[in-house]
Amino acid sequence: MEHQEAIGISILNMIHNRSASGCLVRAQEILTELKGQGLLESVGIELETHLKTMLKQVLEKNQDIQEIFGRKEVSYYYSVRSMTEAYAGILVWKSEDPLWLIAEVVRESSKVYPSPVPVVSFREPPFDLTLETILECFKAFGEGREYQDICQTITSTGTIFLYSSLHLDSDYAAMLAEWIDVGQADNP
Amino acid sequence: MGKYGGWAGKVLRVDLSTGKISTEGTTEKYKDFLGGTGIGYKVIWDEVPAGTKPFDPANKIVYGVGPLAGTGAPCNGRTAITTLWPTCWPSPLVASGHMGGQFAAELKYAGYDAIIIEGRADHPVWLSVSDGKVEIKDARRLWGQGIRMTTVEINQLMGPEASVAAIGQAGENLVPMSVVINSYSHSAGGVGGVMGSKNLKAIGVRGTGSVRIAGNKEEWEKVVKLHLSILGANNQNVVPNVPQSWAEHYNPGSRWVASAGRRWGAADPSIDTGSCEPHNLNRIAYRTNNAAFFLGDKAWQYTVRGNGCTACPIRCHTMLKVPAVSVKYGIPAVGQNTCVGLLFGRSFFKTFPDGPKGQTAIEACMVGMHLADDLGVWDNYGQLQRDFQELYYNGVFNSKVREKEFKGYSWDKYEQGDPTFLFELLPKIANREGELATALGLGTGYLLERWGIPEQQWLENHELLYWKQGHPKHHSNEDAGQCGVIINTQYNRDAQCHSHSNFTRNGLPIEVQKRLAAELWGSSDAVDAVGAFKPMNVYKARMAKWSILRKELHDCLSLCNWMGPWVASPLKERGYRGDDSIESLLYSLATGDQMSRQELDKIAERIFVLQRALTIRDMGTKDMRTKHDTIPDWVFTDPKDKDAFSKGTIRMDKEDIKLAMDTYYEEMAWDKETGSPTAAAYRELGLGNVAHELAKKGLVP
Repeated sequence: MEHQEAIGISILNMIHNRSASGCLVRAQEILTELKGQGLLESVGIELETHLKTMLKQVLEKNQDIQEIFGRKEVSYYYSVRSMTEAYAGILVWKSEDPLWLIAEVVRESSKVYPSPVPVVSFREPPFDLTLETILECFKAFGEGREYQDICQTITSTGTIFLYSSLHLDSDYAAMLAEWIDVGQADNP
Repeated sequence: MGKYGGWAGKVLRVDLSTGKISTEGTTEKYKDFLGGTGIGYKVIWDEVPAGTKPFDPANKIVYGVGPLAGTGAPCNGRTAITTLWPTCWPSPLVASGHMGGQFAAELKYAGYDAIIIEGRADHPVWLSVSDGKVEIKDARRLWGQGIRMTTVEINQLMGPEASVAAIGQAGENLVPMSVVINSYSHSAGGVGGVMGSKNLKAIGVRGTGSVRIAGNKEEWEKVVKLHLSILGANNQNVVPNVPQSWAEHYNPGSRWVASAGRRWGAADPSIDTGSCEPHNLNRIAYRTNNAAFFLGDKAWQYTVRGNGCTACPIRCHTMLKVPAVSVKYGIPAVGQNTCVGLLFGRSFFKTFPDGPKGQTAIEACMVGMHLADDLGVWDNYGQLQRDFQELYYNGVFNSKVREKEFKGYSWDKYEQGDPTFLFELLPKIANREGELATALGLGTGYLLERWGIPEQQWLENHELLYWKQGHPKHHSNEDAGQCGVIINTQYNRDAQCHSHSNFTRNGLPIEVQKRLAAELWGSSDAVDAVGAFKPMNVYKARMAKWSILRKELHDCLSLCNWMGPWVASPLKERGYRGDDSIESLLYSLATGDQMSRQELDKIAERIFVLQRALTIRDMGTKDMRTKHDTIPDWVFTDPKDKDAFSKGTIRMDKEDIKLAMDTYYEEMAWDKETGSPTAAAYRELGLGNVAHELAKKGLVP
């Protein structure tokens, strides 16, 4: 029983620490960490089943711990004490596919604020995409049907913004991009 | 000990013609007008007759602060300067300028809530206010000096902690487009020439007293803490501009620019602004970097720190250190300012060799700040620079100025975006040297009149952002549709109101904004997403009235309307609500005069309506709707000819705006036909005597 508690505490600490530093934790990472700590040596061969049970218990006992799923049913864990669901979602997209990341961020922003997104922002944390990756994504947006709604508009100072045509029409997106890039500073 | 806390208790009156210095009780005479612009409007109404010109000795300048100045209330550093406005065209009317810095607090600590300056000295003087000791001093040695040297010299006499509000050569030379500046970079536009006309070079203030808080001290601390907890970044932007792990929302347009990895690069050692989680109140000052917001990412490497006003944790004045400017232009490497002051130099140029956010643009800002904040030149919220570009690129300078003078300017440098051009232009404006510079120094309305250019051209031009009476728009339809339009009709200079734009630009999703709007103004329909405006409704008129009253309240309490109001917050647990009662809570505890939000708003309305009455009196007409509350034609056009209410335009509809003005006048209980307050409206606000005076002249509907 004490051993089970130790495993539970170790999982909890790991999720808290990783969340505090702005990262998600995957089940596989937890498994590796527990193994490294020697906490799973007496568990036997059904390690993954055991881990699932332990994670379920951690989720039940700790309201702040949340599970979030990626596209291939991969589970990620984080604590809402130091990370919001919105941010966790961005990290999931980022960890799986930069194309998906850019598209979902652009769709969300186009829908809720509404606002197009400056491309340059994807080079900064938490996105941290390289210019090469962004350029590859640009190419892919034009090719795949899944991302046909992701469009670009360029402001009068040459700044490129992306928007989703599901939520903004081209004139509106252009006007909002100009407003963010030039208009707000010219109307301080 | 006086009956009330908050107020210092005395208003200082200085007659420069006679040298007489006297005081009067603040609360006895002005309590119903709070302070700041309230005292200013009251003095102008009572003491400055209609027909007085700004530079007449009969005009008065009122430096007014409020009961919250010098307390621990956040953002309390504003001094309101009220006078007859020299750039208000075609005839001067009452208006106010507002400076931050440390002047307001020092004035309170010296024992005064306001200084009324009247008359005209027979030679240049400066005013020394050191606690109870007030002296008019000879300023002949300072006359001709820039603001920086004047400040240094007076600080050497009064001590480094004195706050010095000084004018430069522009004010001395009665240039209408001139400022007064305290603490080196905190300016109030438009009043420099009025001080110059009185031969008043500067006011130095040093106080060693304190401001008494009348209410329960623990309650006071609690309210101050509440206020701090709901603060956002500059302009009450409450979400960061990039995703943060603690944030549910982020918006690329936000002025909350701090983020791990973004560093104040010129600090030694450099400082990482970090994630600035909103519950960490000790990190509020790191959220904002206006140089980075306005000038682009390059500004991070030149940022030393944020600077700002008394008791304001936002620090909107960004201090920059750009070593290259010392070598290239012979000016100090360090400069600081915010908003249009920061952009002053850059805004003259259409292009730069390395783009609008490159090194040269930043250097132009440094040169502009260095010159304008020393010479004391005002830019009328960027109208000076917009006019300049329009007049040059359309060949107007060439046709209005003699060839020799025109060719005396290095126009090749100007077209190439060379900041050294500013060394040619700005001193000439300050010194009224030549036709071109003299005309620019008059302000837009008088410039157009002098050169025979119909105002209509400016009213139709979408790019110039000109509104009326010689002044530009200040957060109009581009920010808040009809609400912004209404607000921009109500003053005698640019409206300077941020209550509405600080809400619509707060960065929250439109659905959250609508939820908050429903709580504040009765319906989510009070606000629209920017560029997706819908037809007028009564809730937009309520928002407009609320916005104006909050601006007036802030200007009277010494709170900063560039940072407030605080009705949204960065706090998820509050549903992103701020607190609409924060002003009345602070006022009641500071003064001991218990006042609800509604009661305090009523006083703000009294003050605003007194400004309206002054305007009616001095214009000599009650027909404000067609003679004063006018709207430029560009508001009803769109560069792509998109229809009003279609997405992607800020174009308004003429009939809808007529309805907007009707609805607003109804909300104010004014006469719809004339847009003037009725006798009943004046009486309701305790302004029966004002109504009586106006009625004698046939100026009440």
